[in-house]
Amino acid sequence: MSPSPDRKSDSPIIPDWNEVRTALASAMEERILVLDGAMGTMIQRLGLTEENFQGERFRDWSHPLKGNNDLLVLTEPKMIEDIHLEYYLAGADIVETNTFSATSVAQADYACEEAVYDINYHGVLCARRAAIRAEEKDGRRRFVAGALGPTNKTSSMSTDVNSPGHRAISFDELVEAYGEAIRGLVDAGADLLLFETITDTLNTKAGIFAAQRLFEERGIDVPIMISGTITDLSGRTLSGQTPTAFWYSIRHANPITIGLNCALGADLMRDHISELSSVADTFICAYPNAGLPNEMGAYDETPEQMAGQLETFASEGLLNIVGGCCGSTPDHIRAIAETAARYAPRKVPNAERLLRLSGLEPFTLTKDIPFVNIGERTNVTGSARFRKLITAGDYTAALEVARDQVSNGAQVIDINMDEGLIDSQQVMIEFLNLLAAEPDIAKVPLMIDSSKWEVIEAGLKCVQGKALVNSISLKEGEEAFIHHARLVKAYGAAVVVMAFDETGQADTKDRKVEICARAYKILTEVVGLPPEDIIFDPNVFAVATGIEEHNNYGVDFLEATKEITDSLPHVHISGGISNLSFSFRGNEPVREAMHAVFLYYAIQNGMDMGIVNAGQLAVYETIDKELRDACEDVILNRRADSTDRMLDLAERYKGQGGGAGKAKDMSWRELPVGERITHALVNGVTEFIEADTEEARQTFARPLHVIEGPLMAGMNVVGDLFGSGKMFLPQVVKSARVMKQAVAYLMPFMEAEKDANGDAAGRKSAGKVLMATVKGDVHDIGKNIVGVVLSCNNYEIIDLGVMVPSQKILETAKAENVDIIGLSGLITPSLDEMVHVASEMEREGFDIPLLIGGATTSRVHTAVKIHPRYARGQAVHVNDASRAVGVVSNLLSDETKATFIEQVRAEYAKATAAHERAESEKRRLPLETARSNAFKPDWSEYTPPAPSFLGTRSFTDFDLAELARYIDWTPFFQTWELKGRYPAILNDEKQGEAARALWADAQKMLKQIIDEKWFAPKAVLGFWPANAVGDDVRLFTDEDRQSELATFFTLRQQLSKRDGKPNMALADFVAPADSGKPDYIGGFVVTAGIEEVAIAERFERANDDYSSILVKALADRFAEAMAEYMHERVRKDYWGYAPDETLSPDELVGEPYQGIRPAPGYPAQPDHTEKTTLFSLLDAEKSVGVSLTESYAMWPGSSVSGIYMSHPDSYYFGVAKVERDQVLDYAQRKGMEVEEVERWLAPILNYIPGRAAAE
Amino acid sequence: MSQIDPIPVTLISDPGSLVPLDGDTALIRLSANSGHGHADGDTCVACAAQTDVRALLYNLLEEHRRDMRPAFSRVVVDASALADPSQVVEALTGKLPAQALRDHTVARMFYLAG
Repeated sequence: MSPSPDRKSDSPIIPDWNEVRTALASAMEERILVLDGAMGTMIQRLGLTEENFQGERFRDWSHPLKGNNDLLVLTEPKMIEDIHLEYYLAGADIVETNTFSATSVAQADYACEEAVYDINYHGVLCARRAAIRAEEKDGRRRFVAGALGPTNKTSSMSTDVNSPGHRAISFDELVEAYGEAIRGLVDAGADLLLFETITDTLNTKAGIFAAQRLFEERGIDVPIMISGTITDLSGRTLSGQTPTAFWYSIRHANPITIGLNCALGADLMRDHISELSSVADTFICAYPNAGLPNEMGAYDETPEQMAGQLETFASEGLLNIVGGCCGSTPDHIRAIAETAARYAPRKVPNAERLLRLSGLEPFTLTKDIPFVNIGERTNVTGSARFRKLITAGDYTAALEVARDQVSNGAQVIDINMDEGLIDSQQVMIEFLNLLAAEPDIAKVPLMIDSSKWEVIEAGLKCVQGKALVNSISLKEGEEAFIHHARLVKAYGAAVVVMAFDETGQADTKDRKVEICARAYKILTEVVGLPPEDIIFDPNVFAVATGIEEHNNYGVDFLEATKEITDSLPHVHISGGISNLSFSFRGNEPVREAMHAVFLYYAIQNGMDMGIVNAGQLAVYETIDKELRDACEDVILNRRADSTDRMLDLAERYKGQGGGAGKAKDMSWRELPVGERITHALVNGVTEFIEADTEEARQTFARPLHVIEGPLMAGMNVVGDLFGSGKMFLPQVVKSARVMKQAVAYLMPFMEAEKDANGDAAGRKSAGKVLMATVKGDVHDIGKNIVGVVLSCNNYEIIDLGVMVPSQKILETAKAENVDIIGLSGLITPSLDEMVHVASEMEREGFDIPLLIGGATTSRVHTAVKIHPRYARGQAVHVNDASRAVGVVSNLLSDETKATFIEQVRAEYAKATAAHERAESEKRRLPLETARSNAFKPDWSEYTPPAPSFLGTRSFTDFDLAELARYIDWTPFFQTWELKGRYPAILNDEKQGEAARALWADAQKMLKQIIDEKWFAPKAVLGFWPANAVGDDVRLFTDEDRQSELATFFTLRQQLSKRDGKPNMALADFVAPADSGKPDYIGGFVVTAGIEEVAIAERFERANDDYSSILVKALADRFAEAMAEYMHERVRKDYWGYAPDETLSPDELVGEPYQGIRPAPGYPAQPDHTEKTTLFSLLDAEKSVGVSLTESYAMWPGSSVSGIYMSHPDSYYFGVAKVERDQVLDYAQRKGMEVEEVERWLAPILNYIPGRAAAE
Repeated sequence: MSQIDPIPVTLISDPGSLVPLDGDTALIRLSANSGHGHADGDTCVACAAQTDVRALLYNLLEEHRRDMRPAFSRVVVDASALADPSQVVEALTGKLPAQALRDHTVARMFYLAG
C-alpha cells in the first residue's frame, strides 16, 4: 500500500474519505486486512489508579473515574498512543480509537457528558499519532477507525420485563448523542467510523441517521464499518435478529464492512460470519473474543489457538478484515496477522436487486414468491374489531390480532392507527414498542401505515428492522415528496408510493402509469432510493357500485400494473384489495370470491404484494363457478349488466359466514351445539358463544329455553366441577363471563317475544338475591364474586353496589320481592351497620333469610350480635363464595329449609355459649394495673431520629412498574379463594393450574395498567414533633413543642399477661414528654386512585365480571404496594432512620424492618374514628382525593392510611378486648359521649354496653 | 412462544446441598466469574452472557429447539459457587434490567419456584 498522503501529527489530518474508501477497497481485494485487539485488556495491565484517570482536567471529580477508560485519551494520551502503536507494529492495518463509551449516554455514569466531543476528537489524534509513528517505522499505511459503542441503553427493548413497552431512550436522543460523538471523530479526521458491539440495531440506525445527516451537511462520505454481537446459542443479536435480518436493517448505511465482534470464541462465530458472508454484498469483518473460559473458569485461548480457529474462517474465504476483541493482545494480533497473510481474501458477491425487508427475521421477495400477504387486521381503518380494541386501549388483545395474522401466514403486517378519537402518533409508538417484545410477531417486517407523515416518522423511530412505509405521494408536490423520500431512505425503509399527484388520485390507466413513472424518476435519480425498495400502489377502487364510471376500475388497475412493472425495472405493485368489494360489505362469501378472482388476474399482470386478510383468502379454483364468473364479469368489465347480475347472485351467498378461519385446537367445534356450549362455559371461551347461542336458539321454540336448556346444563357441569374442587373461583368467574354474554345475546330476542305476545313470563330463576355492601363501606370484591357464582347457578342477582343505606335495601327487597338478602362489609363499623339492618328487617316484618359476609364478619359475630336481632328470619354467615350456593339453595328449598335453619340455630347457640364462656374466663386487668405494666423502653439511652422535614408533602407521578415490584401477591390469590403462598401456589398440585391461569391474566392486565397508566396513584405524608402523654400522643405545631396541633389517642391491652410481658399501647413507642427527648410521629394516606372504579364498571357493562373483579383486586394490591413502597422511602429518606436498609421488595413481606405503620381501625388501634385526626392533619381529601365515609371507610376504596412510628422496638400487636373503665377514660380523653365510643368500639368491648350501664 | 406453562426454576445457593435430578429436569451450574480479565459484564457483553442466568436459560430453550436436549419441565440452577446469589434471584424475578430481547422471553417462560 502506498504511504498516506499527509504526515503532520499535532493538528488533525482531514483525510479525503473517497480516497480512503478506494484505498481500503482495493487493499481488501488483495489481502485480508488486520484490525487491532482489545483495548480494555491492555489498559487493565497498566494497573492505573484513580489519579491516572482524573488527570488535571478531572481533579477531584464528583464521581470516581477509574474504569472510564475512554477518558485516558485526555488524561494519559501517551499510554493510549503506545498501545495503539503496539497493535500497529504487531500487524494491524486499522486500529480503533479508544472511544467505545464516549457518548453522552454512556458518559452520564461518570458525569462526564461535557467531555464527549473532546474524547472523540483526542481519541482520533492519539491513534493518528501512533499510525504515523508506525508508518515511519515500516512504511506501511495505517488507518484509524473511530469506534462508536452501542451506548448502555436500548431503544427497541425495554429494560423492564414487566413493562415491555417502556423505553429508556428514544431514537431522537440517540441521534443527538451519536451526532456529538461522530462530530468529534470526523473533526479529528478519523478514516472510518466503526459501529461495534451492537446490542440494539435501532440504536445503530439512529447512529447511521446521525452520521448521514452530518455527511450531507458537509458534503462528505466517511466509510462506515458495522459490527454486531451474538452472545447466545440462538445465533441472534441481542435485540433478537438473525444475522441476515441485521444486515437488511443497516444496509442503507452502505457500509464498507459488515461483521461481528465480541461474543463467543472464534469457533462459535463461524456459522454467523458465514451467513453474513453469503448475503452481504460488501466486505466482511470479524473480530471475536479470545475464546471463552473453560470449565475451570480460566481463560484459555492462546494466540496460537485463536489464530488457528480464525484460520478456518480465512481458509473458507469468509474474511476481508480480521482482528480480536475482549481478551486479545498484540501477541494474538501478531499470530492472527501471520495467519491471515497466508490466505486470499473473500470475494464480495453481487446481490440481486430484490426487495429485502426484516423484522427479527429476514424477508426477501424472491421470484419464487408470487405474492406477499400483508396482514390488514392490525389496521384500524380496515378492521372494526381492531379499531375497537385500540380505542378501548386493549393492547393485549390487539397484539393477539397481530399474532394471529402472522400465524395465519402474513409475511408482512400493516399497522395503521389513523382513527380520529385517539392520538394516532402516540398509539403507533406504544403499539410498536409493545409489539417489539413479542418475538413471534416481531419476526415479520412491518408496514407502517398512516396518512400522516408524523405518524409514519414516529413509527420508523421505533422499529429495528427494515420496514415498509405506506405511503408517500406527489399529492403535495415534489418538494414534500422528496423530503419524505429522503427520510424514508435515512431511516432505512422501503416505501409504498400512491398513484396520487397534485391534481388528485389516479383512476385511469394512463394517469396511474404517468404518475408512477414520474415518481420513479425522482426517487431513483434525485433521492437515490434503490428501485427494488419502491412499491407502487396504483389504487384499487370499488367496482360494481352501480355507478357506470366505476365499471372499468378493475381493468384500469390490471392494465396499469402490467405497464408499470414492464417499464420501471425492479419495482413492485401493491394495493388495498378490500376496497374492491366495498359495495358488498357484510357479505363475506362474495367479498372473498371477488378478492380471490381479482388477485388471480392482478398477480398475472405483475402485482406482487397486497393488503389482505391472511386468514381469509379463498382459492380461485374452489369458488363456485357461477360466482366466479360473475366476479370476473365485474372485475374485467365484461358485460354491461354485470353489476346487476352480481347483486342478484350475492343475495344467495349472504349469511354463509366467512371462509375457513384457521385456529388453535378447534376439534371441539365439531361437537353438537350443546356440548360446544358446555365446553365454552367450562373453559371460559367467549369467542364463539354468540354464534353457538344463535345456533341453539334456532333449534328451540323460545330463546328462554336456550338458557334453561343448554346454557344451564353447561353451568351445572361448571357447578359440579366447582363443588367437587376440580374448578376454582377464577375459572368459575370466567365461565360466568361466557354465560352473561350468551344471556345478553338472547335478551333482545326475549324482549321481542314479550312485545309480540304481551307475554310477561320471563326467565324462571332459582331465586332472587339482593346483594349490597352496607352503608359506610366501599369494599365489594367478595360480594361481586359471590354474586357471580350465584348467578352462574341461575339465581337472579340484584346488586345495589356499595354504601347502601338500610332503607334502600329494605325498599328494594320489598319492591322486587326478593327471596334472600346478602350483606357485605370489610371494615369493623360495618359489623354494626349489619346489626342495624337486621333490626330494621325485624321491625318491618321481613322473614326472608339474611346472608352475612365480608372480611371482618365472623360466625361468632353473626351468632352473638346479628342473629338475636332477627328472630323472624334467619341470619347466616357465609364467608366464601364456594359455600354460597349450598347455603342459598338450602335456604330456598322447601324440603331442606327447616332442617338447615335448625342446624344453623343449634350451631349459633353453641357458638354464643362458647363465646360467653371464653370471655368470662379471660381475666382482664383494671386500666390502672394495665398502665403500670406499660412497655417502657429506656429513653435515657435513646435519641429518637428526626425526620427530614416537618409538615406534609404530597406525591404524584408514581412509576406504576416500580410500584408493581412491591406487590405482595399472596393476598391477591386469597381474594380468589386460592389458598397458599405466592409463588408456591403456582405449583400447587390441585390449585396450580387455576392459579397459573389467574396469574397470567393478572400479569396481562398489570402490564396494561402499567403501559396504559390506568391508575394515577397519589400519596401524602406528614411528620410532626410528638411526645407521649399517658396513653395519648400529643402532636405539636413546631419544634418548640409549646402549641399543640392534635392528639392521637391510643388504647391499651387489658389482657392479663404472663411472663412479665407488658400491656401495650401505641403511645408506648413514642418518647414521653417528661423524658425530655424530642420525638416524632408520621402519618400517611396512599391511594391507587379513583380511575379503577370507572374501569371496573366498564368491564361490568361489557358483561365481563372477571376483568372487573380482576382490576379491583389489582387496584387493592397497588394501594398496598404503595403503602409498602412509601414506608420504605420513609425509612430510608424522609424519616431516614434506616438509610442503609437494603431489602428487596419481596423481602418486605415479613416486615423485617425497623418501625411500624399501624392503621386506625386495625388491631393495634381498633378505633376507626382516629382516622378523622389523621385525615385532617394530612388534608387528605384535598391532597390525594381520599375521603372518609360515615363509617370511616376510605373512598376510593383502594387506599391505605396509617401512622408511622420509628422506635426500634415497635411492633404490631392487637389491643384485643377492652373493659368499661378504659372506655370511660377514653371517652373522657377524646371528649366523646360514652355511647358513641361504645358504638365504634363495639367489636372489642369486653362487656355488653346496655347491661354494664344498668349494673 | 405461545401458551406454554411457565417452567419453574429452583435455585440452590447452599454449597453441598443435593437436589434429586430426573429426566424432566435441566441443570445449570453458574460459575463464579467469566474468567476474562475484567469485572463480569464490564464492557464485554459476551462475558456478561456467560454469567447471566437468563442467557443460560435461553440457551436451554434453544438446545431443546435444536434437539440437542430432551424436553424438560423443571430447571435447577446451582448458584452455590456465587458469593451472593441475589443477582440471580433478581434476574429470575424480573428485577434485573433486561439487556436483550431473550430476557423478555425468559421472563415469560420461567419463574423462580418458591
